[in-house]
Amino acid sequence: MNGVSTWLLILTPLLPLVLAVPALRARLPWPCHVALLPALALLAMPADAAVDLPWLLLGSGLALDAGLGRWPLAMAVLVWGAAASLLPAAGGRPVDARLASWFLLTLSGGLGAILATELVGFFSFSVLMGYGFYALLVSGGDVPARRAARVYLVLLIVADLALFEALLMAASTAGETAFEAVRPAMAASPSAALYVAMVLVGFAARAGLWPLHVWLVPLSRSVRPGVVLLLGAVPVATALLGLVRWLPLGDASLPGAGLVVQGMGVAAVLSALVAMARRRGCASWPAWGCVLATGLFAIALGAGLADAAVWGRFGGWAGLFIAAVGLAVALLVAACAWRRTGGVPVAGRADDAPAWFERWAAAAVRRAARLGMETLPRWRAAGLAGAACLWRVRAWRRALDGGERLLQRWACAVILVVLVGIVVALAGASFGGR
Amino acid sequence: MSGEAALPLLVLASSLLPGLVIFFLPEQRVALRTTLNLAGAVLKLALVGVMIWGVFHGVHYEARLPLLPGLDLVLRADPLAMLFVVLSSFLWLVTTVYAIGYLEGSPHRSRFFGFFSLCVTATVGVALAGNLITFLLFYELLTLATYPLIVHRGTDEARRAGRTYLIYTIAGGALLLIGTVWLYTLSGTLAFTSRGFLSGLDASLHGALAVIFVLLIAGLGVKAALIPLHGWLPQAMVAPAPVSALLHAVAVVKAGAFGIVRVLHDVYGIQFAAGLGLTLPLAMLAAATVVYGSLRALFQDDLKRRLAFSTVSQVAYIVLGIAIAGPLAVVGGLVHLVHQGLMKITLFFCAGNLAETLGIHKISEMDGVGRRMPWTMTAFSIGALGMIGVPPTVGFISKWYLGLGALETGQGWVIAVLAGSSLLNAAYFLPILYAAWFKAPAGDWPAERDFGRRETAWALLAPSLLTAFLTLAFGLLALAPFSPLQWASFIADLEYAR
Repeated sequence: MNGVSTWLLILTPLLPLVLAVPALRARLPWPCHVALLPALALLAMPADAAVDLPWLLLGSGLALDAGLGRWPLAMAVLVWGAAASLLPAAGGRPVDARLASWFLLTLSGGLGAILATELVGFFSFSVLMGYGFYALLVSGGDVPARRAARVYLVLLIVADLALFEALLMAASTAGETAFEAVRPAMAASPSAALYVAMVLVGFAARAGLWPLHVWLVPLSRSVRPGVVLLLGAVPVATALLGLVRWLPLGDASLPGAGLVVQGMGVAAVLSALVAMARRRGCASWPAWGCVLATGLFAIALGAGLADAAVWGRFGGWAGLFIAAVGLAVALLVAACAWRRTGGVPVAGRADDAPAWFERWAAAAVRRAARLGMETLPRWRAAGLAGAACLWRVRAWRRALDGGERLLQRWACAVILVVLVGIVVALAGASFGGR
Repeated sequence: MSGEAALPLLVLASSLLPGLVIFFLPEQRVALRTTLNLAGAVLKLALVGVMIWGVFHGVHYEARLPLLPGLDLVLRADPLAMLFVVLSSFLWLVTTVYAIGYLEGSPHRSRFFGFFSLCVTATVGVALAGNLITFLLFYELLTLATYPLIVHRGTDEARRAGRTYLIYTIAGGALLLIGTVWLYTLSGTLAFTSRGFLSGLDASLHGALAVIFVLLIAGLGVKAALIPLHGWLPQAMVAPAPVSALLHAVAVVKAGAFGIVRVLHDVYGIQFAAGLGLTLPLAMLAAATVVYGSLRALFQDDLKRRLAFSTVSQVAYIVLGIAIAGPLAVVGGLVHLVHQGLMKITLFFCAGNLAETLGIHKISEMDGVGRRMPWTMTAFSIGALGMIGVPPTVGFISKWYLGLGALETGQGWVIAVLAGSSLLNAAYFLPILYAAWFKAPAGDWPAERDFGRRETAWALLAPSLLTAFLTLAFGLLALAPFSPLQWASFIADLEYAR
């Protein structure tokens, strides 16, 4: 094992993590770019590299393999470098210190996920990336951005729960979490279908695969270009990589699951094409570009899932495809930004209104968001303000509080029972003794 | 007396003696009181370090003092005891530093620190107890030592909370006493024995053993805050922050949970209890507590009250892990004893920092506080994410082993409970983080104190940062030698003779 490669593998996710602490990057020029240097150097190493980290988490490792790892890493370095340049900066250091911290945390998670060799490591890095990206979206964002980010957060939590369950199933079946061990073990497992469903739900929500793409479109319209640039490279590309890493592709043929995934892919492609065709404005093109690309990927993935032999023949191109998705979305963002600044009239918001076929999904997510992230704080606030319209919630709280008070009264009754019990026990013991 | 017999007594004495001296110190002897507090805590930690090394290498530490005919007061250091002793000794040191900063200038500090030391003495006694009667003695001592800490502020609300606490815990103690006496009459022994001492009893006694089990669990469940016996815990939030930290992370709820572990491991034996059909109802009660605590936490605007209901939920994970009755789940339950302590003490320290520095007591007052107190809120965020179970925090490690244990024993419903609880944890912790980091401050803080260029006093900030760091470190380095996970695995291996 080449010692330099080992250190570069470790430093690739570690350096951004360290630089995320404001005090540690205070005097460093271009910190967001400097954080990318180990990844760049790693790409320059000719041979594949791997390092085992048995002391990390539940036994982890990092590796850069020729196909699946190297292309996405190269794409990530390019796109992250460009995004870092677009952050509002003074003397190479971002003006908003917190924005830079979120940026570096997300970067660490994104790079770590590409290099992870086992499920727990991948999950941990992708969670870091997901929450960091949420913070990037929210930090300094306008009201629509925050609303869209909230939907993303809800889907992220649901996705993480689904992936955690899949992770448990995989570890329980295979006895370890290395990708190479999990894939054949899950292929032979009777619970393969459930595992595949969990993985698909988890990564489809993270990738914005139709019909879970609802967070992508509003986000691309509302957040700053530096962050939109990352849409394809961060949540989408990493989730596609996760699908390839986690699913038993090439080890099992699951025609039913493959058909479902292909169906989702076709629907995604059609909806993206229709949406892009009926809009003159380009504000949401990057998002629809993501939906289109993930749809195409899903069609290919479904074919590979349905027939192991197909994946054996074409699976080697997955890394390149994922890298192309990230780059293509970044280029779309850049093209849209150029079009805006080049004096071409930008279509109004009405022109970017959702199409009829998107509305049901948006309505469903809005309802879910209201039920989850919006309603509960509102209940709390309204309850505190004594809002009469939410009497049911107050009644709930009152009922629960009343129950607790009742329980506290029971405690006295319990004491009485206990005292009687002690007396009876002592009396019984003394009579028994005689 | 040999060194092996003296060491458990010395560990107890290291907090008991300074505590007794501190009781009689005048209020103005600040330096001496601080020295005694810290010296006792450091000495205890050093002695525990020696003992843990010895236990790992097979040294048998046991002190035996005659108590009643046929019943001795036994202090013994086995691996399970050491898990709890290390936790309480370390967190006592940290909490002492925090309490010194928190109570600076406030009245009745000698009384406070005297009972504080007595409380830790009782907790270590509970941990080291070698039989059920010793356990019971220290368990009751813990009740008496914590009552003055809860009513320390002397307000009507504090006295009311103290009264509720006493009613609950004395009732629980009485149930425990009845169960213990009944058990002694049936078995003739109360000595904690690896894999239990009841499996050899006649089958005709199994009904009585089941009733005794209910009595013991009800008695211990009061302090462990299992529903419906949890009512005292949210009320006890009127106590000062170091006491809340002590109640939730170090002493009281942990003593209850630890007692349940002891009863299942070393009185009944997990296999025997499962054979009697006692573990599944206990697991279901724990699962109900997990969900109920999280639901109640969701509706609280008072920060400490939300954390209190969160404790109700999180401590039940320990019981759930033990009651699932599989090797991996036991590891998850045992390691959560330590992990929950670290996460919860971090959160309570941070809540104390917010209250002391800015006068913030309610979540609705926390908008933008991340900008004003970034280090405190960083520590809070780590603790909160740990509670949700986000990797690589210790909360993830606990949930990982609980989940694997559930699958190992074919109890898939536990996975649904874990997922639901994580979702609820996210629902009541993430809005706090959002408000703190991404909302703008609403105006002036309720009662801001000036600490110069620092966000708050070092004595308040350093303990929060240390425990937050450990919340991350013990997750990241879960497989390192002597990590809580490795130690819990060591205990589970002994229990299941793997």
